Amino acid sequence: MNGAFKALAVVIAVAVATHLAVIFAAPYAMMGIAMSRISQHGKVVNAWTFPPRTTERSRAIVRPSPDLAYASCVYDLAKGPVRIKVTPSGDYTSLSIFQANSDNIYAVNDRQAPNGVDLLLVRKDAKLNAPPGVTLVRSPTRRGIILDRRLAPTAEAFAVAVEARKADVCASAGAG
Amino acid sequence: MAVTVGVVLGAGSAVAVLNHAQALGAQAFGGGWTGSMNAGSSSADPYTRAVVARVGLLALRRSETIYFSRALDDRGRPLSSACVYTLSGGSLPARWWSVTIYGNDNYLPVNGDIAESADATRTAKDASGKWTVKVAAQRPEGGDWISSRNAGNFSLTLRLYNPTPAALAHPEAIAFPSLTTKYCGGGAS
Repeated sequence: MNGAFKALAVVIAVAVATHLAVIFAAPYAMMGIAMSRISQHGKVVNAWTFPPRTTERSRAIVRPSPDLAYASCVYDLAKGPVRIKVTPSGDYTSLSIFQANSDNIYAVNDRQAPNGVDLLLVRKDAKLNAPPGVTLVRSPTRRGIILDRRLAPTAEAFAVAVEARKADVCASAGAG
Repeated sequence: MAVTVGVVLGAGSAVAVLNHAQALGAQAFGGGWTGSMNAGSSSADPYTRAVVARVGLLALRRSETIYFSRALDDRGRPLSSACVYTLSGGSLPARWWSVTIYGNDNYLPVNGDIAESADATRTAKDASGKWTVKVAAQRPEGGDWISSRNAGNFSLTLRLYNPTPAALAHPEAIAFPSLTTKYCGGGAS
């Protein structure tokens, strides 16, 4: 009886621990899959990727909007800060940053920054200041995803977004 | 043996939570729409974060966008490509809104119709600002349409980009689009 009770206690304790571990780890795992897909298995890091217009064949990220033009950049701060610049395209434009657990740690749109965004993304504990006119954003995790969303519900609007996002910058800013 | 059973039970229950994510971490709002106001937030609890990662990875924080979804019709039945629905609404409290259909796999249904969404810029509105979209497997003779062909049991996601302060403060007061089931499988419903 005592042995059965102990076994039951072990089952419950291990089940609870495993359950919580899976729930905690799931966002990291899903972000890892997304980062791998966007970066083409690590080949394109700290650089924008510009997927074509979202269609029924789009499978990189769940629940994509067919009315938005997306640009994405997988960042890795291992070698220092990353510089990001985005210029609005005349309609809704936003820049958002997601740390490795999927939290949206930063978001700004064209109404808040009508002249565009110029920011330096650094590690949470980095000891440096941003140059004048540049926004400093601290990422709690070394890796994550940066997204540029632009309203593009028609082919014509998508073409405008494609042209505007050519000026986007996502690039390593060197050791910092 | 006990450890193995515990691992299986723990992992299985966690996967079950994620596979029934639509019903978890979500609050019921008006007209059958559900959502989490903590999507994308650093203050989200681990369950909300896991659920959002499963069904809405890279969701924006609420100040930028709020998301609602529904997988049930006006009578509580799963949305189905075998049924015809009308979705009606008026002005929504945001800079831009859209309603998009997703299949059970959380991707756009594969049907070649290129009719996956309705949005504030393309949907026809009457003088009072009211709009109506048919959600059906077959293209209607006229009017706006979201194609459910090949979608099976699907869900609809409502996005409100740059919601108004009032919508953020009282999302339960939003005049959500209403969904009405017209008929299923060729018969009156």
